[in-house]
Amino acid sequence: MIRSATYRLLQHSSASFAGLRLPTPFIRFSAEASSTPPPPQDPVIPTLQETPVHSKVGDDGADHKKRNPKTNLGGGYAEEQARVLRAALSHVPKLGWSESAMISGARDVGVSPSIVGSFPRREAALVEFFMDDCLQRLTDRIDSGEELNSLILSDRLTKLIRTRLEMQARPMNLPTSLKQRAFLVDEVWHAAGDQGSDVDWYVKRTVLGGIYSTCEVYMITDRSSDFCDSWNFLEHRVRDAFDLKKTLQENFFVAAREDL
Amino acid sequence: MAMRRSVATLIRNFRNVVPRSDLFLHSHATSFGFKEVREEEKSKLVGNVFSSVASSYDIMNDLMSGGLHRLWKHRLVSKLHPFPGMKHLDVAGGTGDVAFRILESIKSVRYRDVQGVLDGFGETQIYVCDINPNMLSVGKNRAIEKGLGDEQSLVWIEGDAEALSFNDLSMDGYTIAFGIRNVTHMEKALAEAYRVLKRGGRFLCLELSHVEAPLFKQIYDYYSFAVIPAMGELVAGDRESYQYLVESIRRFPNQETFAQMMADTGFEKVEYENLVGGVVAIHSGVKL
Repeated sequence: MIRSATYRLLQHSSASFAGLRLPTPFIRFSAEASSTPPPPQDPVIPTLQETPVHSKVGDDGADHKKRNPKTNLGGGYAEEQARVLRAALSHVPKLGWSESAMISGARDVGVSPSIVGSFPRREAALVEFFMDDCLQRLTDRIDSGEELNSLILSDRLTKLIRTRLEMQARPMNLPTSLKQRAFLVDEVWHAAGDQGSDVDWYVKRTVLGGIYSTCEVYMITDRSSDFCDSWNFLEHRVRDAFDLKKTLQENFFVAAREDL
Repeated sequence: MAMRRSVATLIRNFRNVVPRSDLFLHSHATSFGFKEVREEEKSKLVGNVFSSVASSYDIMNDLMSGGLHRLWKHRLVSKLHPFPGMKHLDVAGGTGDVAFRILESIKSVRYRDVQGVLDGFGETQIYVCDINPNMLSVGKNRAIEKGLGDEQSLVWIEGDAEALSFNDLSMDGYTIAFGIRNVTHMEKALAEAYRVLKRGGRFLCLELSHVEAPLFKQIYDYYSFAVIPAMGELVAGDRESYQYLVESIRRFPNQETFAQMMADTGFEKVEYENLVGGVVAIHSGVKL
């Protein structure tokens, strides 16, 4: 809750001082903390602790702000763009991720479709908007849901990935940009209560990114009702990841014993 | 004490001056190239320029820009991103250069597959507005040559950019290519553009602008002041008009200043793009 509130607050404040035709990267890079990994503290064996974590709120909201650079462009315009794109989403099932969908969206909200021409990267803007919107909804869901805390880590991850995948279950064919996936994976780890700050950081994100993408691919050909098979698949992949970790740890343990 | 008194005198004197200057309120000096002329004169002088060059306008554009003006106009239209059912106003576009390109873009194959969806949005209408009837007739003739003589979407209108005859909130797009420089009061033209645009409508301005890159600037200046007037004399038989052209380019506000003027008018998301290092710039803004 606090996190998303901070996020919105930051978004607002940055929107107000973002200059008119100022290239936004200046603002983005100077005023924000990036979500780069924290410096490794002590190089230990990757550890995924399978214990319920109770406190997860309260970390910095700064890295969440960075993920939606489009909205930094200037208050009114960004808002209008979001409104048009949101309306355009409802035309996507019929018209595809196309300019026609955006033009229809603009008509729906009573803005001249001319505005579509001013969106950077046009059709891509629509897809990016959808991705960012999903991430925002996932964050909201995470912040409002209490049930997460009672689950063990592997179940928590499964649930979070499933929530996110369900959001895009209707318009299936989504090109995923790496950057947005990175933010997504970051968000899922945060929500799962991970506060690790060692080399592990990379391992965890790579593994989760892999699981997410694999499931996404699996879903494309999944014809079972409510994507039942996909959810089973997801559960198993998360299990696998934890098993892999255990195997690794056992190996290290055995190796250490043999040294003695 | 002495200072206060002198300030008071100054203010009193100033008050005496102000009413007198009211007389001149409507006959400010404005620029015609590097010359200072009275405001009423400028539009007449600009009118003369274009009447005298109208016939050789296209060939001169090609010669002066080395054909590049075609690419610039193409870029303008692709930035505009026209769509079927659009109501567009092209100001100072008498020869129809921009209007034809917009029409072409709308008709392009890209839209044919979705015609069903976008058809319900009414007729496409492109209004070509120019203050100079000679330029308009050049455009009309070209439309006939291109087989667009009975094209319903093209509407030719004689009108002033500072006092458009269109209703408020009636246009999806507004373009002005190589025109705003010749308008006597740019602020008025901008305000008019803002007035006629719908919410979400876009303003795009293609204009010869300022070159900053050191060496290129010298070359460009030499070209402008030595080559272009000579070329004008040779081809169009009119040195004065092309002398005016290059001078008026130098008098035009630079990219940043013009962008600020647009923002002051109320446009949002004001951006500009330099082409050929700033020889021309495309300014764009959205009305919200």
